Parts: sequence; structure tokens; C-alpha cells
Amino acid sequence: MDSIRVAFRAGTIALVIAGTWGIASLLLAKTAPGADGIPPEKVADYVHAVLEADRTIYTTHIVNRMQEKGIVSAAESWEQENALPLPAQFLQHSGRLVAERGNGIRYRLIGQWPIYQRNAPATDFERKALDTLRRQPERPVTGIVASGKKQYFQAIYPDRAVSAACVTCHNSHPLSPKQDFKLNDVIGAIAITIPLE
Amino acid sequence: MSITRTSSQRGKGWGLKAKLTVAMLLVGVVPLVVGLGMAFWQGSREIREVSGESFKALATEAARKLDLLIAEEIAQTARIAGDPTIIRELEQRRDAPRDGISKSPAAAPTDLEQRWTAGEPAAVNAIMGSPLSALLDEHYAGIHSAPGQLLPQVVRASTKMLFLTDVQGLLVAAMGEKPDFRHDRAPWWQGAFNKAVGRLYIEDIRFNQQVNAYVFTISVPVMDSLRYEVVGVLHRVIDAKEFFAPSTHVIRFGKTGHVMLIDSNGIVVSCPLLPTGVSLSDRNLLPLVTPQQPGWAEAPSDGHGGQAASVIGFAPLPQTSHTTSGSIENASWHTFVWQSSDELFAPIQHLFIWVTVFGSIALALLAGLGFAAAGRIVTPVRELQQAAQSIARGELRTPIQIRTGDELEDLADEFNRMNQQLKAAFAGLTDEVKLKTREVQVLQQSTDYILDAVPTPILLIDADGVVRYINRAARESFTIRDEPPAPLSSILSLDADAQHRLRQEFHADRNRADSQAGANRIESPRDPLVPTAESRSSVSRSDLHIGTRVYHYQWFRMPARPGQADSIGLVLRDTTDESRLQDQLVQAEKTDSLSVLTAGIGHELNNPLFGIVGLGEAIQEEPSLERVKAYARDIVAHGRRMATIIRDFTGVASREVSNQRISVSLEDELDRALATIQTAMEMAGITVTKCYAGNVQVLALPDQLRQALMNVITNAVQAMRGSGTLTLSTAQSDHTGTATITDSGPGISKQHLPKIFDPFFTTKGQGEGSGLGLTVARRIIRKFGGDVRIESLEGRGTTCTVTLPILATAAERGPWTPSVSRSEPEPSPLS
Repeated sequence: MDSIRVAFRAGTIALVIAGTWGIASLLLAKTAPGADGIPPEKVADYVHAVLEADRTIYTTHIVNRMQEKGIVSAAESWEQENALPLPAQFLQHSGRLVAERGNGIRYRLIGQWPIYQRNAPATDFERKALDTLRRQPERPVTGIVASGKKQYFQAIYPDRAVSAACVTCHNSHPLSPKQDFKLNDVIGAIAITIPLE
Repeated sequence: MSITRTSSQRGKGWGLKAKLTVAMLLVGVVPLVVGLGMAFWQGSREIREVSGESFKALATEAARKLDLLIAEEIAQTARIAGDPTIIRELEQRRDAPRDGISKSPAAAPTDLEQRWTAGEPAAVNAIMGSPLSALLDEHYAGIHSAPGQLLPQVVRASTKMLFLTDVQGLLVAAMGEKPDFRHDRAPWWQGAFNKAVGRLYIEDIRFNQQVNAYVFTISVPVMDSLRYEVVGVLHRVIDAKEFFAPSTHVIRFGKTGHVMLIDSNGIVVSCPLLPTGVSLSDRNLLPLVTPQQPGWAEAPSDGHGGQAASVIGFAPLPQTSHTTSGSIENASWHTFVWQSSDELFAPIQHLFIWVTVFGSIALALLAGLGFAAAGRIVTPVRELQQAAQSIARGELRTPIQIRTGDELEDLADEFNRMNQQLKAAFAGLTDEVKLKTREVQVLQQSTDYILDAVPTPILLIDADGVVRYINRAARESFTIRDEPPAPLSSILSLDADAQHRLRQEFHADRNRADSQAGANRIESPRDPLVPTAESRSSVSRSDLHIGTRVYHYQWFRMPARPGQADSIGLVLRDTTDESRLQDQLVQAEKTDSLSVLTAGIGHELNNPLFGIVGLGEAIQEEPSLERVKAYARDIVAHGRRMATIIRDFTGVASREVSNQRISVSLEDELDRALATIQTAMEMAGITVTKCYAGNVQVLALPDQLRQALMNVITNAVQAMRGSGTLTLSTAQSDHTGTATITDSGPGISKQHLPKIFDPFFTTKGQGEGSGLGLTVARRIIRKFGGDVRIESLEGRGTTCTVTLPILATAAERGPWTPSVSRSEPEPSPLS
């Protein structure tokens, strides 16, 4: 069990480091070669692609497989129960690791019906983006936002219920304000923030 | 009889009643004790398990409650941290250096820090009186809280410090006590700032000097308006005791049961008994009670200084532990539910005591009832026992009255039936006894008649030497001076020697009979009138001279009734006439033998004499001196031969006549007898074969023994009529020496065989024999205690066997036969 956990963590770290390293290289490439560089929309797309791919691999090839074989299951309190983190937690924790590296790029999960209030939309932009994505989930919502005098590029991608586990958890969690999600519904969004220096 | 039986019963041990009572008690005690022990053991186990589970549940519940309490506190703090005014202010402070408002970014805070540390009122006022501090106050007072989300009074009281720092860890606003100015190196600040990512940080309990109390802190990062990065940290210092006491101290059960909160290092966060901040007394408890799952355990100590085994329930505070110091392993918080084991096990102990008390009462009842029941069972049994004793004495007249309606009643009925049957049997038995008694009386009378009818005097003497009975023949034969019972000496008028001899024999026989009766001489009692076996009678046959008559007397043993000494009988037989006749017979035989002897001597001496006479005559006419000398040598030789013959005869004749039996060699006597016969009879054609066993010493008078042997050998030689084989042999057994004389003559016909010992019976012609030879020989041999036996097969020859007692055993022969009885009379002198 511990070995699985260690392997998982190592894998996560490796994936996240690889992803962020790639993004960092892109950003550096953007600043280094010239003014035009790579537009932030593209960077956010790259990052989102890596994030989704990592999480899909984790969900299908680790969590689902382990649960099907009855070896270990995923649970919210995975640390106490010696279980696997939920895919959403996987993304949040990797986001924390990325943030702690201090490269500037950060991402987090937000939702209109969050289980924990800390995941509620922080700004009007995020709130409106969620509204828009509910209606038009095909494309991400992007924009420039400011905190004080700092400016950031934000891209908000719709996040769907990709596996039955997502729907089950959100529909059964006592703190969940909405409990009628269906598979492939847009449950929330991934907000990617890139500082504009 | 009854007295001895009851006393022997008492001596044996417990009576039936005591045994029954004890058995009933045991039947009650054993299951009670076993059941009690098992109940106590099982009860203790179950109480432990039930308590453990309850404690676990309680610990889990308390943990959840405390977790929620802390979560609520965090939420309150987070709400302050989410205040837009604070965020905006902190964003501005973050952006400030870039705007160039402060020329030297580090200078202003340093200046302010120095003044704050110095306690300058303007500096203090600048921070404590700032709008943000006011805002903190307002939040603290609940002005900005939604209705129903007011901070509880307890929480407000327990919050010792609440202050805000900017991104550099510098104090921005404060409330309550005066905090330090710079915090960027404090673990809590670094933990909450977390590289500008932000994280909830709960600091484990420790002593705070400023507050002067054990505190824990909650640090909440203040995120910017985008929730992108940390712009400040809101720090809250909470007095642990004040904060948790209302929640933990109220949970009390029993006298000692309570809930406490500890961290994984064993530091007490809150406990109704222990002060906050101390360590658990037993460090060994920690691994037991601080796993990450709720549970319960049996611990060797209680963590409160006691060493009694305890049942402890425990549970972690999952959410709080998760955020405490940022790591579960370093410090986690756990609830700990404990109750003194004395109190915990008090119910089972009370139960035990009560069951013991009730058990004792039950036992007392059991003993009482058992005693009564045993009495009810034993009373009829006692009646039966007494009835059985009465039956044994033959005194039971009335039937036994037992009406218990069970087996005992059946038994009593059986007793009654048995008693009746016994009575009937006894009646028959009495008749039988009367009949037998009459028979015995008749038998006794007939014995008396027989004894009186016998012409031989018979006396019966008891072990003390007192004559008990004299038959009629004895009364008539002797002059009886005293009527029996009287001492033997007073009945028979004997001389002193005879009396002495009789007394000696009486004692010797009695003792020997006592010691040897069972060995090899057991014989059935027999009629003393029948002549005893000759082999024995000769030795014991002794004579008594009473008056003018000679009596041959013989002892015999009378078996006595059980428990009494054997009595001894004395049979006296008048042998006056018989011995006279025998003496005459011996004399006649002697005369007869003398004539034969004389003829033999004549014959023997005649031949050399004629030779001497012839030689003498020849000498007279012989001129040759040489021949005369030769004749003279022959004469001398003849003379010597005659001298030898005469010497041999003289040897026979000059034998001293004595009645004293001596030890004699049987072989020597056979040889002498043969030599004597050879001188008298023609034995040229007879081959003599000797087969001697060796030196067989017998007890006899040598002259008479040789006379007897001569008679036998003479018969054998005469039977062979000049030719044949004479075989002489001897043998020795344990008690006897045997001489066997066998001839190869014609044998003796069957009709003659029974008569050959009769006096004057002879098969020889007139003048050849007197017919007394074998008669005399047998008398002599029998006198010595031996016997002569003739066996003959017609045409094959005759064997004469002479048996004599040998020296060793001759002295041991008793004069009378011992009886079968082994009773041992007390030796007493014959008076």
C-alpha cells in the first residue's frame, strides 16, 4: 500500500515537474526570442492539455484499475484511509506543488456548486466564465484580470464529469450543494492563471 | 454387642448423615464457585470490551466535536482573512514598494519596528489604532458576522492575540495583547505563507511567554482578490485550556471517567484532571493510543500517574491533525477517554460481592436443608440398622414400621419377610440340633460301652497329666485308689522309676508331637487296640510291672475339641503270659540252635582231629625223620586250624549278654552269620554274592541280631539244597537299614507263604528243622523296631528283607503315634 502511495507520489511529482518544466521553457522561449513569443492563450492550452492528460491517465489507469482489481480504492480522506486521492484532489495537489515552485503559473479547480467554499469563484470574472461555460462548454473563457496593480491572464476551461466516480462523489457528498450531476456534465472548471509582467 | 458396634462406627469416621450433608453441600458449592468464577471472568471481559467500545465511540464523538470546534474557529478566522478591505489593504502594501511611496522599502518597517519594540505610543497607536486593527476588532466583536455566526463568548475570551502581517511578515494590524513586529522567521508564518501559495497552519501547543499560557495558534493566509497569491497572514493565538475546557471538561461519566485531548507527543492539551502542557506520565502509552484510527486498548497504566491496568478509548482529530504543523507524523491531536479501572470494574465487583453473599446464604440454606433431608433419610436407615441388630440377636418381635413410600419402605418389608423366614429356619434348626445332640449322646454312650467292653485297661489323661477316664478293665485290673479325675500317679501304683519314666515319656511325647505333628508323621487317629505297625511298636513297646503282672503300655493321642488341648491315652496290655511264652520259645530255639551248633563244631573239629590222629599214627610208623617232620608240620597246621575254629566259636559264645542295644554294623553281622553257617553246613556248591551299601549302622543287640540273620540265611541255604546262588545285600535309607538275603531255591508256595512266620511251621523233614527259625528271627527283629518280610515266587527263589532302624533315627522314634491335631497344651509337670 505504502509502495503504491510512494510510487503514485513520485509519479505525480514527475508528471507535474515535467509539465511545468515544459511550460516554463515555453514561457522563457516567449520572452527570450522576441516580443511576439507565444500568446498566453496557447500557453494555457498547452498546460490544460497536459493537465487533462495526466489526470485522465491517473483516473483510468490508476484509480479505476486499482478499484476494479480491489487492490485499493480512492477516497477523499485518502491519507487516513490509506487510499488513493480522488482525481480532483490529484489535480488540486499537483496545482499546489506547481504553485510552490514559484514559476508564476497556477491553476485550480473552481465551480458554481463547490463542495468546499474555497473552490467557489473568487472574482466576478470567474463567476461569469462559469456561467458562460455552462452554456457554451466548447471553448475556454479567457481574459486579463488584476489584483491590485498586478495583472494576470486567466483561462477557464470547462471540467466535465469524466468518470462515474466524479458523479457519484459530487452527488453523494454531504457538503455538495447540487446532487443531480450526470456523466459528462460540466461540473466545474479549471482556472489557469498566468502573471503578466 | 450393640455398644461395640456403635463405637466402632464412630471410630471409622463420619456417619451417613454427615456424609450426605457434605455431599449435598459439595454439590451446591462446586457449581456455585465454578459458575461464580466463570461469571466473574466473563463479566470482566465483557465489561472491558463493552467499555472499550463505548470509550472508542465516545472518543470518536469527542474527536469529531473538537474537530468541528476547531474547524469552526478556522472558518471564523478565514472569514476575517477574506474581508475585501483587508485584502485590498494588503494588496496595496504588497504593491507599495513598486509604486515608490516609500523610498527605502526596508527602512520604514525597520524604523517602525524599532519604535514598536521600544513601546513608543505613537508607533503602537499607528498599528493598534489603524483602520485594519479596528476592522479586526469589529470582526472579533461580531459586527461583520452574519446573524447566527457570532463568535461565542468562550472563543472570544480564549483568543489571546489576533494580528495581521503583510507578505514580508511585518505586523500590519493587531488586536488584544502586544505581538512582536517581525514574524517572517516564525514557523507558523512560513507555514501559512508557504511560498506565497498559502496554507492553513495550526501550530501545536506550546507555552507563550507574552500570554503566559499554553496556547495553540491558527494561521490563515490572506489571499489576494484573485486568490492567486498570499498577500498577508492572519494569526490567532488561542489559550488551549480556555478554548477546549468547555468542550472536554463537561464530558464526565462516573467519578473518574473523562475525555482529554493530547497531541502525539504526549502533551496534554486539555484534561479535566491534568494541567494543560504536562506530559502523560507513561510515555509507553503513546504508541498505544495515538494511531490514526479510532480504537480502544488495554493499557498497563492510565496516563494519570496510576499503574492500574486501564481501558482507554482514543480517536484522532482527522482534520485538525491534518493541518497541525503540516504533517501528520510530527504532531497530531487525539482524544483520549479514560476511566479508573477501580470504577470501571466496580459493577462486576459489586456483582461478585452480591453473588458471594447470596451464594453464602444459599449455601447456609443448602446446609440446613441438606441436614434436614439427610436426617429424614438416615432415621429410617437407623431404624433398619437397629432392627437388623435385633434380628441378629433373635429379639425382633414386632415388624419394622417404616412408611416412607420409597425403597427404604421396600427394604423394611424385605427385613420383615427375612425375619419371618429366619424364625421359621431357626425353629427347624433347633429340632435338628436336638436330634444331633441325641445322636452324639448315643455315640458317647456306645463309645463308653465299647471301652468298658474291651478287656484292656485304658486311661485318658489330659494335658495337665490328670487322668480323666478309666475304663472298666482298668478298674478291675488295678486297685484304683482315687476316682478320676486324679493324677496318674495316684491311680496306678507304680514304683518311682516307672513313674519317672512315664512322666518323662509323657512330656517328651507331648512336646515332640507338638513340634513334629505336622511334619512327616501325621496319621489319622486310630483304634489303640489294634496292634500298631510293628516297625514302630517295637521301640515304644515298653513294659510296666504292676503288682505281679507285666503290662505292655502304649501312648496314643486323642484329638481334642477345638480350643482345647489334646488329651493323651494310655493303653495297657497284660503281656504276662505272652512274654512268658516268648521266653520259652526263645529258650527252645536256643537249645535247638545249640544242638545244631554243637553238631557243626563237632563236624568242624572232627576233620582236623582225624587228620591229626592219622598223622600221629603215621609218625609212629615212619622211620624217616624227614617225613616225620613233614607230618608234624601238618599236625601243627591242623591244630592251628582247630584253634581258629574254636576261637571263632568262642567269639560267638563269649559275647557278653546285655540288654543294651548298641550300634552294630549290619554288614559285619551278615558276614559273621555266614561264616558261622559255612562251618556247619555244606556250601561248596553255593555261590555267595555280596552287594553291600557300606557301613550301615543299626541299633540292635549283636548276638541276637546275628542269631536272627543266621536263621534267615540257614533257611536260604537249606532251600537251595546244596547248589545255587546266595545274594546278600544291604541298603540304607533315611531312617532304616535294610539287609536282603536272596536265594535261588525253589521258592515258597502261595499257600505256605502266610504261615511261614508261625511257630513250628516247617516244610522240612522230621529232624531237619524245628519250625522256629523265622519265628524267632521276626521276634528279635521286631524287638529292635524293625521287621522281616518274605517275598517268594515259586520256582524262582525267595527274598527275605530285614529292616532295622538305623542309629540316627532310632532315638527319635516315639513310642506312640502323634495325632493330627496341632493344638498346643500348656506344658505342666506330671504330678
